[in-house]
Amino acid sequence: MSGAHDLGGSSGGPIDRSGHEVEDWERLADAINSALGGKGLQTTDQHRRVIESLPDYRDLGYYERWAAATEKLLVEKGILTREEIDEKAGELERRWGES
Amino acid sequence: MAFAPGDRVRVRPAEKPGHVRTPGYLKGCPGWIEGVLGRFPNPEDLAYGLSGIPEKKLYRVGFRQTDLWDGYDGPASDLLYADIYEHWLAPEGEA
Repeated sequence: MSGAHDLGGSSGGPIDRSGHEVEDWERLADAINSALGGKGLQTTDQHRRVIESLPDYRDLGYYERWAAATEKLLVEKGILTREEIDEKAGELERRWGES
Repeated sequence: MAFAPGDRVRVRPAEKPGHVRTPGYLKGCPGWIEGVLGRFPNPEDLAYGLSGIPEKKLYRVGFRQTDLWDGYDGPASDLLYADIYEHWLAPEGEA
């Protein structure tokens, strides 16, 4: 089965070379990844496998893939549940609206 | 299966389920062993949280670009090197 990264030899079209400022949530996605690695809860090989398995891979940006894969992997490992993540995300959204 | 530098090999054409670290465009292609890089835990198992043991030998494999791409119009001397794990390789005549 070819994963989303197995692109060698296929026609990819033009390359978008535009850059953007790194946003805080992207730094956070990176930091969470390092922290999970440091705690032995996730490895680069596992994370890479889950990134490639994201059904909406093509619609996501680089760190959106990282965040989505981290979420999926933590659920797969039984460390967090989808409900716990949604609940926390909802709480953060409400707090964001208040400030 | 152990290979030595200079051995003719072919990348297995198999479609393996799950996580794969061998580029699709090399599957089924002939080449030669350029070097032996050592033994490493199998990353295709590490990807699922397994131990990756037994370790797999990793080879640097050389390919002629003309063997990889239909209608390749660069010089016939153009080569490509890729690092391929032993379980993806077979003797050229067997794969």
